[in-house]
Amino acid sequence: MITAQDLTKRYGDRTVVTDLSFTVRPGTVTGFLGPNGAGKSTTLRMILGLDAPTRGHATVGGRSYAAHPAPLTEVGALLEARSVHPGRTAHHHLRALAHTHGIPRSRVEHVLALTGLTDVAHRRVKGFSLGMGQRLGIAAALLGDPAAVILDEPVNGLDPEGVLWIRTLLKSLAAEGRTVLVSSHLMSEMALTAEHLVIIGRGRLLADTTVTDFVRHSGTGTVKVVTPDATDLVRHLTAPGVDITADAPGSLTVRGTDAEHIGRTAAAHGIPLFELTPSTASLEEAFMDLTRDAVEYTAALEGAAA
Amino acid sequence: MSTATATPAYRVTPARVLRSEWHKLWTLRSTWVTLVLTGALTLAMGVGISAAYDGSGEGGLDTVVFVLLGTQFAALNLAVLGILATAGEYSTGQIRATMTAVPRRLPVLWAKAAVLAAVAFTLSLWTNLLTFPLAQSFLAGTDQSAALGDPGVLRGLVGNAAGLALLAVTALGIGAVARSVPLATGAYIGLVMILPEVLRMLPHAVVDDAVRHFPAKALESLTAAQAGPGTTSPGTALLALTLWAAASLAAAATTLRRRDV
Repeated sequence: MITAQDLTKRYGDRTVVTDLSFTVRPGTVTGFLGPNGAGKSTTLRMILGLDAPTRGHATVGGRSYAAHPAPLTEVGALLEARSVHPGRTAHHHLRALAHTHGIPRSRVEHVLALTGLTDVAHRRVKGFSLGMGQRLGIAAALLGDPAAVILDEPVNGLDPEGVLWIRTLLKSLAAEGRTVLVSSHLMSEMALTAEHLVIIGRGRLLADTTVTDFVRHSGTGTVKVVTPDATDLVRHLTAPGVDITADAPGSLTVRGTDAEHIGRTAAAHGIPLFELTPSTASLEEAFMDLTRDAVEYTAALEGAAA
Repeated sequence: MSTATATPAYRVTPARVLRSEWHKLWTLRSTWVTLVLTGALTLAMGVGISAAYDGSGEGGLDTVVFVLLGTQFAALNLAVLGILATAGEYSTGQIRATMTAVPRRLPVLWAKAAVLAAVAFTLSLWTNLLTFPLAQSFLAGTDQSAALGDPGVLRGLVGNAAGLALLAVTALGIGAVARSVPLATGAYIGLVMILPEVLRMLPHAVVDDAVRHFPAKALESLTAAQAGPGTTSPGTALLALTLWAAASLAAAATTLRRRDV
């Protein structure tokens, strides 16, 4: 369990995070979403005690991260910025971290195998590709077999295979009962992995919701219907809040109701359906709608300052 | 969480942080290069100068100071090693991993200082104990001739090693404050090498007195077998170097606690 309570971070007269409060629960993947520069990394650094909040506090498993006798068993973190000396080998990087907690060599070898780095473990990190570097960061995060995992933009710069690997890993970590907090600026990526969402913009909380609720309330879920009796179906579906557009003869896009309702209505009136396809492809748009005000305000401020 | 009960032995202790820093130091190529270079330079300079010495007695240098002239390179090399241990972690980003593992932060500083002091002292002592007799084999019959058993010689060789270790720790502290390798190296050279020379030009007796306690001069007093005119006693020199190292570590500790990583 990770909680943020009124977290505020100010650098000089610039406020990066403002009164941010949220709770991340174990057993699910929580997506921490926001446009670039929204304050995600700063928030995560405050949770880990790397940055001191100007106001408010963050706790992990009931107390501040630094107060734990074995911090690496509480939270394993992959930060966005590289956190490893390029002159050391992957093996020795992990061994040095493991020593601080009395974690045995066998555990180091285990996480190297888990992240597929065994073959390159004795090569210096300097020569690692972006993907290998991310894997090493994840190996370090898993070193203490932590109750919670925090990953800052883990899929950035990864090839499709790496992205898939991260998605599977996040889900399995949550399935093991761990708290998983993963940041991203891509809604589409989070829709595939996260169940819960904490969305911020300009350092403020915009939404604390589930992916399902977000999709339902965003009003962007559409259903494509192909039928020879389009006019008839439109007449039966028409209701307050339901928006129907005809894309082509016999092809409709329905907004404001779900595929189940459309299917049942058609069946009740004996209307044949050739296609009935729900689409949530515009999730990214809903996210952008939500964060637009925040982004525009920032742009306006910067424009005024220039 | 089940994971917490499954790993009751995992816990951060000062000894474990020490072990981690020890592991970190020896798993970087730069450490080996610096240490080999430091020992080799001191040895080569001591032997070279002694072999070339014509016995003219110019300069009237103390015999231990004469044999260990290479110590100035050693002081700079070991300082760079100290700066790399702290400032180097900021330039590579390693510091984020280090401070995530030990979020209380200060144990890391103490461990780094202890590891560096131990390594610098041990290396310097063995280098000195090897350099002195080798160099002396060329100096028989000159005014620089001396034996290990002569008054002050052994104390000078050990004192020099202790002084170098304290100087390295001073540099390590500067590195933790500056958080940049070039900046810290510049600050160290300015403080240890240039500032005393500049101050010495001021026509005040008080300044002269103060300069004697600056790191480079104190190291020379600590190295000398016989206290020369216008230098402090070895005991005072050791105290001065200890205070420099302590002040530097105190500044580093304050920075580490107050500033974001």
